[in-house]
Amino acid sequence: MNRTSDTVNRLVMCLAGALVLALMWGPQEGSFDNFWFVINHSLFSARVLVFLALGVIVFLAMTFWPRVVPFLTRPGVWPLVAGTLTVIASQTLMHWADQVGDAKFGTVAKAAANTDGLSPLASAFFGGLCWALLVIVVLLLAAAIITGLRNFGWAAAALSLVAAVIAYISHAAVVDYVQKFGGGVDHSLGVYVCIVGYLVLMTAGLVVAMSDAQVADTRRTMNRVLGWRPGLPLVAIGAVLGIMAMATSTWFSPANYNATLADTRNLFRGTGLAPIAVQYLAWLGWALLAISLVLSGVASYRRIRPLGWAGAAVGWLGVLLTVLTLYRISDLGADLAVDAATGPWQNLGAGGWMACAALFLIGAGGYIAATAPRYSTPAVTATDSDAVATGRSASSSFLTAPGAVRSGIMIAVAVALFYPPTANGFWQSVLVSEIGIYVLLAVGLNVVVGWAGLLDLGFIAFYAIGSYTTAYLVGSLPVKPPSWLQMSPLLAIPFAVLICLLAGLALGAPTLRLRGDYLAIVTLGFGEIIRIVAVNADEVTNGSQGPSTQVPHPVIDLGPVSITWGLNQLQYWYLLLVFVLVVLLAFRRLEDSRIGRSWAAIREDEVAAQATGINTFRIKLLAFAIGASTSGVAGVFFASQIGFFTPDNFVLNNSILVVAYVVFGGMGSLPGAIAGAALLTWLPEFLKDQVPAADRQMWIGAAVLAMMIFRPGGLLPARRRAVELSGLQPRSTRLEPAAVPASEGI
Amino acid sequence: MNYLILGLTRGSMYALIALGYTLVYGVLQLINFAHSEVFMSGAFGSYAIVHLLVGDGKGTPSWAVPFVLVAGIVSGAVTAAAIAWMLERVAYRPLRKRGAPKLAFLISAIGASFFLSQLAGKLFGRLTSNAFPGFWDQNAVVFKPFGAEVRVLQVVIIASAVVMMIFLDRLVAVTKLGRSIRAISEDAPTAALMGIDIDKTISRTFVIGGLLGGAAGFLFGLNFSFGNTMGFIPGVKAFAAAVLGGIGNIRGAMIGGLLLGIVENLVPVVNIDTKWTDVVAFVVLVLVLMFRPTGILGERLGRAA
Repeated sequence: MNRTSDTVNRLVMCLAGALVLALMWGPQEGSFDNFWFVINHSLFSARVLVFLALGVIVFLAMTFWPRVVPFLTRPGVWPLVAGTLTVIASQTLMHWADQVGDAKFGTVAKAAANTDGLSPLASAFFGGLCWALLVIVVLLLAAAIITGLRNFGWAAAALSLVAAVIAYISHAAVVDYVQKFGGGVDHSLGVYVCIVGYLVLMTAGLVVAMSDAQVADTRRTMNRVLGWRPGLPLVAIGAVLGIMAMATSTWFSPANYNATLADTRNLFRGTGLAPIAVQYLAWLGWALLAISLVLSGVASYRRIRPLGWAGAAVGWLGVLLTVLTLYRISDLGADLAVDAATGPWQNLGAGGWMACAALFLIGAGGYIAATAPRYSTPAVTATDSDAVATGRSASSSFLTAPGAVRSGIMIAVAVALFYPPTANGFWQSVLVSEIGIYVLLAVGLNVVVGWAGLLDLGFIAFYAIGSYTTAYLVGSLPVKPPSWLQMSPLLAIPFAVLICLLAGLALGAPTLRLRGDYLAIVTLGFGEIIRIVAVNADEVTNGSQGPSTQVPHPVIDLGPVSITWGLNQLQYWYLLLVFVLVVLLAFRRLEDSRIGRSWAAIREDEVAAQATGINTFRIKLLAFAIGASTSGVAGVFFASQIGFFTPDNFVLNNSILVVAYVVFGGMGSLPGAIAGAALLTWLPEFLKDQVPAADRQMWIGAAVLAMMIFRPGGLLPARRRAVELSGLQPRSTRLEPAAVPASEGI
Repeated sequence: MNYLILGLTRGSMYALIALGYTLVYGVLQLINFAHSEVFMSGAFGSYAIVHLLVGDGKGTPSWAVPFVLVAGIVSGAVTAAAIAWMLERVAYRPLRKRGAPKLAFLISAIGASFFLSQLAGKLFGRLTSNAFPGFWDQNAVVFKPFGAEVRVLQVVIIASAVVMMIFLDRLVAVTKLGRSIRAISEDAPTAALMGIDIDKTISRTFVIGGLLGGAAGFLFGLNFSFGNTMGFIPGVKAFAAAVLGGIGNIRGAMIGGLLLGIVENLVPVVNIDTKWTDVVAFVVLVLVLMFRPTGILGERLGRAA
């Protein structure tokens, strides 16, 4: 194809895309009497010009892309882009103060402009300083990147830090102000996302300031920044969080009351609070923070391992004490009926949990400092030099800094442990019944689809079987189990797993000899059969109503240890976390085991795998059974958490969605499956505020489509896949009609 | 006997959709999950034209009915073909150029499918059962072989499906495009070496599949009802039909579609409650695959046609 027609093609594509976007932003459904209503209103209005202009801009960017590329490979560009977008997103889409209107940034800013008595810094921030700061930082960074002047980089980094602090202070001022007039607890996340954005921008500045070369080594410099002192980034984050938590954040907030750490101490002075909690509130909290900070910080800076262990011990002990204190004050607060406090674990502000996260991260920093390899070998591999040569970084070279991956995991753990208590009820239930369960399912399906390469479109069936097995065993179905078999939900886990395992074997044994696409339709059929049976076998399953009596909530009763799960979503969240953790640990071991490697072999080339002596049928069956039993666990959890469910929870669409989560996240990688499921289940709930509810699926479809077009390997591709996709073979020699690479035998 | 006619009607629509799956599978070895939305767009496209022609349908002269029908089929086919063409350009070609893993195609198609069905819902309303204007007496009984009632709509559906299938069969067997399609499904790299333009052929294959699917969309809309989520169930069934006949095999898709339609409608005859229809259909599918693991007619497009 010659150049002109290429260009014309691209222009047409961009304009068409712009028109589609215009349609997507357009008004809601027309009626059949007025068939073209929506199209008329979205395409023949002034707004379409904006979208067309956008299309032209994209077209220009694409056309001059080759000239832009050399700049893109300069250090710091990608963090700059990511950070800028994050800050913009936080200041346009996200909530900043829950009690103000629809809580978005614009609304809050408008409200702030109309109030007197807000601190001047805060009113300035909401009155335009926020955007000015962003623009200045971005300009500074751009200048630094283009000219290579390091001082600009340092300046930008410093300014980003200042901006982050200003954002935090302004947000705190607004929330304080609102609460003075009887607002409730604030759960908004906007400011935190904004701060994260500025921290990324700060990283960009540091990368620019610290890189030696001007070409193609963003990632190497990033790795150097991150790996300079393993654990130090975590300690730094922990320090910031901890000081924020202890100095300004709310610790205890029954109705109309909003107590920081110091206020809480005054509140509980002389009320018979347990001594350890009193000491914690008085000085022990700060002391723990300071001691662990010093220990971990020095340990990671000087790389002294024993000190690192000490830091970890103090930090994690601090977490324990903090949790204990939180329990004590909320419990006692309810007993004393302080401003209608309602009971243990209730009325706690974000501060305590933030302090927990901070201490946890500081401890984790110490732990990483104690375990990171002392001397890091520079990770310049073949792919790296290849990447430099082609002006493009290979994805496998990202995050090779010592401890970087582990730091990421630790941050994820901290968020998983200490974010949910600070979220509001809606997000807690989303976390449990959407995100958590689907993460578990995706991790299970990842074994089947990602590792063994078997396309299973009926995965939800096993989940249904798990749920119904639970319902049967606890006696919630019309068919009652014999009395000696009736049990509590958690005890049903082994049985549900066993039944799902058997179902997996029963489905797999006759069908696994089929090739990929036949397997897909058979599993799909199986899924539908299970659902239809559940709907129609009234006398067994109570038909489309679901189980006739409520499936009881889980209970653990072992003499001294007795936990009863009720309606509080948090309890389920931590139970789920335990499940996910156990499954993850088991699967991590499995991935590199003999079985895991056999799966990979089968996925890549079944015939060759057979030739090397792998019993492919048995190994595939094993994958099926393991995947099925994981979803059995999810089924038990689901049944006992929700109490009532119907066959509608197990429709075909959900099976397809789980496959989409796995592939979206990155086939065959555990972090990918988790991230994919979490992101795609979070997205619809997030979009609820942004677009009309009915359009959510459309945006999700578009997001999935775009992801696959621009990043076919998924969000976090497995390392093996990443190499397959971008490494090894030089681009130029790839055959034109590579519709299906010969190696992809699913 | 009545059930047989119903089955044939339904089956010929399945067959038309299944052909779309099979053609794409033939050239790309991929399940085109968004084909159900191609089918759906056919119904909407033809509605726009039919609505334009006959308004609310009252007082349409009887001589005009055949023309309206043809216009409906053609407009549905063209709309769907346009959608299918765009689908290939947007959701498949970029991935093909990058040599993406096979499942990535599947997921991008699923994304496209969600997107298209919801976009259609946003543009034209989300009612699930819209009806075409009643411009003719489509339930008039034409003739009664063996005591069964054959309605005029059923005749139209079966006849047009048969015509299109014969047309397609000849197209693939005789023309140059058909040869290219077969060559690619046999061995794409070699076909490329023989001077076949792979991109163009694939794109045209999608268009052909879209034409058939769109026509089926119109017929389906006439026979039942249509809406933005109408594609899902027939799509799954047609996919099953394609697999039943041997995916990638054109005659297999036709036979599979008819067979599936008939089996579904024979369920009440053998004294099984209709609520188990889908179960029976899938069980038949599984049984067939058990004994003939590559479907009834085997799977290569090249060999059978």
